Amino acid sequence: MLALVNVFAEAAATDVNQAVAEATAKNPILPVMNEMFWTLVFFAILWALMKFVLLPPVMRTFKERADKVRDDQLAAEAADTARVDRLEQYEAGLAGARSEAVKLIEQARAEGDAERRVQVGAAEADVASLRTEAAAEIAGAKERARGELTSSITDIAVGAAEAVVQKSIDRSAQVRVVEDHVAQAGKN
Amino acid sequence: MIFGLEFPPIENLVEWPNWFGPKDSFYGFNKIAFISLVAIVATSVLFILGNRKRSMVPKGAQNLVESSVAFIRDGIVLETMGPDGMRYLPYLVSLFFFILIGNIFEVIPFFHMPANARMAGPAVLALITWAYYIAVGLKHQGPKYFINAIAPPGVPKALYILVVPIEFLSTFIVRPFSLAVRLFANMLAGHILLVTFSVLCITLFTASLLALVLPLSFFMLVALTGFEVMVAFLQAYIFTILAAVYIGSSMHAEH
Repeated sequence: MLALVNVFAEAAATDVNQAVAEATAKNPILPVMNEMFWTLVFFAILWALMKFVLLPPVMRTFKERADKVRDDQLAAEAADTARVDRLEQYEAGLAGARSEAVKLIEQARAEGDAERRVQVGAAEADVASLRTEAAAEIAGAKERARGELTSSITDIAVGAAEAVVQKSIDRSAQVRVVEDHVAQAGKN
Repeated sequence: MIFGLEFPPIENLVEWPNWFGPKDSFYGFNKIAFISLVAIVATSVLFILGNRKRSMVPKGAQNLVESSVAFIRDGIVLETMGPDGMRYLPYLVSLFFFILIGNIFEVIPFFHMPANARMAGPAVLALITWAYYIAVGLKHQGPKYFINAIAPPGVPKALYILVVPIEFLSTFIVRPFSLAVRLFANMLAGHILLVTFSVLCITLFTASLLALVLPLSFFMLVALTGFEVMVAFLQAYIFTILAAVYIGSSMHAEH
C-alpha cells in the first residue's frame, strides 16, 4: 500500500516538476523585464535628446528657411511693384516726350511753312522784278533792233530802188515809208 | 530537424543571454538592449551630423535629417493632428527613428535580429503611447476625456449600450495591444522567414542534386532581405502614424 502511495507521489511530483518547468520555460511572446527596462530607458533618453537637443536646430533651420523664403518673396514682390511703378513712370515720361515731340514737330512745321511762305514770296517778288527788268531790256533791245533794222532796210530798199529806176530818190520819204512798214510789221 | 532541414533551436530566438548583469535581473544587458542603445546613438549621430553645418540648401546628412523630419511633420503630424499637433513632433520623431533603427538590424550583418522581434520593445513603446494619449486627452479635455472617449457626443442615446463597451475596449485595451502585436508579429515573422531561407541555402549548399535548387532559394533570400527593409520602414511608419492618430483623437472630443 505504501509502495503504491509512493508511486503515486512520485508520479505527482514528476507532473508538478514538468508543469513548473513548462511554466518557467521562456515564452517567445511574453516580454522580458530586462529588455523592457532598457527599452524604456533608451527611448526616454532619445525622447529627451530629441526634444531638447536634436530636433530644435532642425526646426530652427526650417523656420529660418521659411522666413527667408517669405522675406525673399516679399522682396521680390516689392521689386516687382517698383518695376511696375518705374515702367509706368517711364511710359508716362515716354508719352509726355512723345507729345512734346509732336508739339515741337508741329511748331517746327508751322515755322517752316511760314518761313517757306516768306521765302517763296520774296523769291516771287525777285522773279517779278527780274521779269520786269528783263521785259524792259527786251523792249529796249527790240527797239534798238527795230531802229537798226529800219535803217538797214531803208538803205537796202533805197539802194535797190535807185538801182531799179537809175536815178536818185527822196531818201527821207522812203525812210518814212519803211519806218511805217516796220512799225506796222512790229504790231503784227 | 524539420523536413530534413537543421533549424536553429527556438532558444536562439527566445533566450538572449546577458552580456552583463545577473541572469533574470531587471537590468541585465543583452543583444536586444544593445540594439536599442545603438538606435539612440545612431539617431543622435545622424542628427548631430545633420545639424553641424546648417545651410539654407541642405545636402548630405542635413538633407537626410530634414527630409525625415519633414516627412513626419507633413505626412504624419499635420495630416492627422493639424498645426496643434506640432508640439508632439519630438515624441513622434523619436518613436519613428527608434523603431526604424531597431527594425533595420534585421538585415545588418552580424546582428540579424530586429529589436522589435522581441515583445519587450513594442510593448514598452505601445504602453508609453497609451499613457501619452491618455495624458494628452486629460490635458486637453480634463476628466471628461474618459466620458468623451467611451461615449462620443452625437451618438443616439440608444446606441450607447453598444458603443460604450466597444469604445472602451477599443480605446483603452485593444489599441496598445494591437500596436505592440502588429509591430512584434511583423518583425518576428520577417525574421523567421529570413532564417528559414538562410537555413535552406546552407542546407542546399551540398555536392548533391539539391544544389540545383540553391539559386532559387538564394534569390528568395535576397529578395526577402529587400522586402524586410521595406517592412522595417513600413512598420515604423505605421506605428508612428497610429500613435499620432491616437494622440490627435485625444486632443478633441470625437464628433
